[in-house]
Amino acid sequence: MDVQVTNNVLTVTVDESIYPEKVLLKCLYWYSDTWQLEIDRVHQGRLQITIHAKDDAIVAWEPVSARLKRDLIDFKLRQIVADETRTIRELIVAKAFAYYEPEETPLSIVSDPVGFDPTSV
Amino acid sequence: METAIIKERQTRKFKDVAYFRSEETYTLLPFRFHRMPDGREILVNEIGDYMVVPSGTTARIINREINNNDPEDAVLYEDLVAAFFIAEQAVPDLLEVMATRYRTKKSFLDSFTSLHIFVISLRCEHTCHYCQVSRVTSDKNKFDMSRVHIDAGIDMMMRSPARQLTMEFQGGEALLAFDNIIYAVEKAKVAGEQHNKQITYVICTNLAPLTDDMLVYCKENNILISTSLDGPVYVHDKNRHKPDASSYRLAVDGIHRCREILGEENVSALTTTTRLSLDYPIEIVDEYVALGFRNIFLRPISPYGFATKSVNKNKYETSRFLEFYKTALQRIIRHNLDGYFIREDYTAIILKKLLTPFPVGYVDLQSPAGLINSVIVFNYDGAIYASDEARMLAEMKDFTFRLGTLGETSYEEVFYGEKAQIISEAMLNESLPGCSECAFQSYCGADPVFNYATQGDMYGFRPDNAFCQRNMELIQYIITLMEDDKQVEKIFRSWITGKS
Repeated sequence: MDVQVTNNVLTVTVDESIYPEKVLLKCLYWYSDTWQLEIDRVHQGRLQITIHAKDDAIVAWEPVSARLKRDLIDFKLRQIVADETRTIRELIVAKAFAYYEPEETPLSIVSDPVGFDPTSV
Repeated sequence: METAIIKERQTRKFKDVAYFRSEETYTLLPFRFHRMPDGREILVNEIGDYMVVPSGTTARIINREINNNDPEDAVLYEDLVAAFFIAEQAVPDLLEVMATRYRTKKSFLDSFTSLHIFVISLRCEHTCHYCQVSRVTSDKNKFDMSRVHIDAGIDMMMRSPARQLTMEFQGGEALLAFDNIIYAVEKAKVAGEQHNKQITYVICTNLAPLTDDMLVYCKENNILISTSLDGPVYVHDKNRHKPDASSYRLAVDGIHRCREILGEENVSALTTTTRLSLDYPIEIVDEYVALGFRNIFLRPISPYGFATKSVNKNKYETSRFLEFYKTALQRIIRHNLDGYFIREDYTAIILKKLLTPFPVGYVDLQSPAGLINSVIVFNYDGAIYASDEARMLAEMKDFTFRLGTLGETSYEEVFYGEKAQIISEAMLNESLPGCSECAFQSYCGADPVFNYATQGDMYGFRPDNAFCQRNMELIQYIITLMEDDKQVEKIFRSWITGKS
């Protein structure tokens, strides 16, 4: 991860194999109320994040950069869990709703052709 | 030849068990995490169980560094397995249990719309500065619900798949149209019997027009009273202006009379937190204690209707509300520690989501959202809205959430029509930006009307969304209180079990 500050603009370049685009998008979403953001593919396999203030104010970039690095790792971890558990999650939801049976009282009398009384169970 | 046979045997030989054992020691189950300001991490799994763990634990779990054989990790490992964060098999043995628990959490959907709000009249004798909708007028014809619309509303209510229904009368001031309430209750009683429905009746009122005859009727028909009490007299009367009278005195007097005739358990009160209220968290809690209440509901003022026009009085920062809420909650906890049981309802709702496997039928914190699925509003003029907030938005001439008209629009068009389908796209926090990755997803909800009213679109923008900020902070605060003080945890558990 390369971090640079030039002309009051923070530039962070990351390896796409470590931080794929969807991780960047999910992470930077939370920065988009405060900052102007851009994501560009600068080289093969390298993504560049550019961050600058919306109002061109002079910014102390050190804490922003530190937070961004930590958040990128957190969102990468979230993505790993999401990717690894996708199938189990789908299974849980599918099974949860597939088993739904509304409680219904039979409209007709239950027959007992073999002499086994189902109502006694 | 001999050598070849031996080689063949060697290659066919059963491998040792260790050969088949996976390098990985456990399988991850779906969970999300949140980093607390002090570095600790809150892990929440797909079915709403949570754990608070030291900083760095999430990364260790994901990297398969939690070792069952390491004495330092053994307890954590067992907790993670027991609480469905990891499994020792590729497909967990208890997958069926997880599915059942997931279904249980979402089982508020089973009965579909149960709360039916009838805005029985828009007339009111108060002139509250924050009121979104009411009119001070004696024009019954224009601002009371017509009998035709009441009949159509009851017909639609009977179409609900829910066996247990709640019919809530709101205003304006609902008691100003008590003849309408009697008419509606009598009609609903007959229809309920025909359709095998159990109906709970609730009147939301400021209690000012309350008479003994009304109380007798409420008693005879098991009608519950929900009133508003914003705190001590100097807060309540400023919030709820009534010409030539003290709204506070009328409310307190009404509460006493209701308790006497209907019983304590059939009267409840809600606070509306205005900008003025924010300065009096202690006093508001103490007022409820002084009046003998066993619960208090600290609600923020809604951002709809007339409230947003009264900018100076009503717009306050979410952070100020959170500060108010935390101070009030601490005071409530103090009263409990001193031996007086009183519960804060919003915290209790979140606690029930945190600590129990049960569904919580609170429309503002549901996914899928409570509007349409759990609540529907029939306005005084026959208009049908997706929620109470939606009709307040309509008072600002925005009819985005208007679903139809009583007597004209069919049940299917209202509940499954094009508009309901458009709204439903933004009803699931599981698929909303920002929410989909949020650790608190299963404790929170989706509110398309709030998003639309405050941010201009139903999906909302989480980084500066007040609903998101408020709930993220409150859920984290409640978990922190329990983690840091076991006495508080005990009190909180008593709020959801009723046992101390």
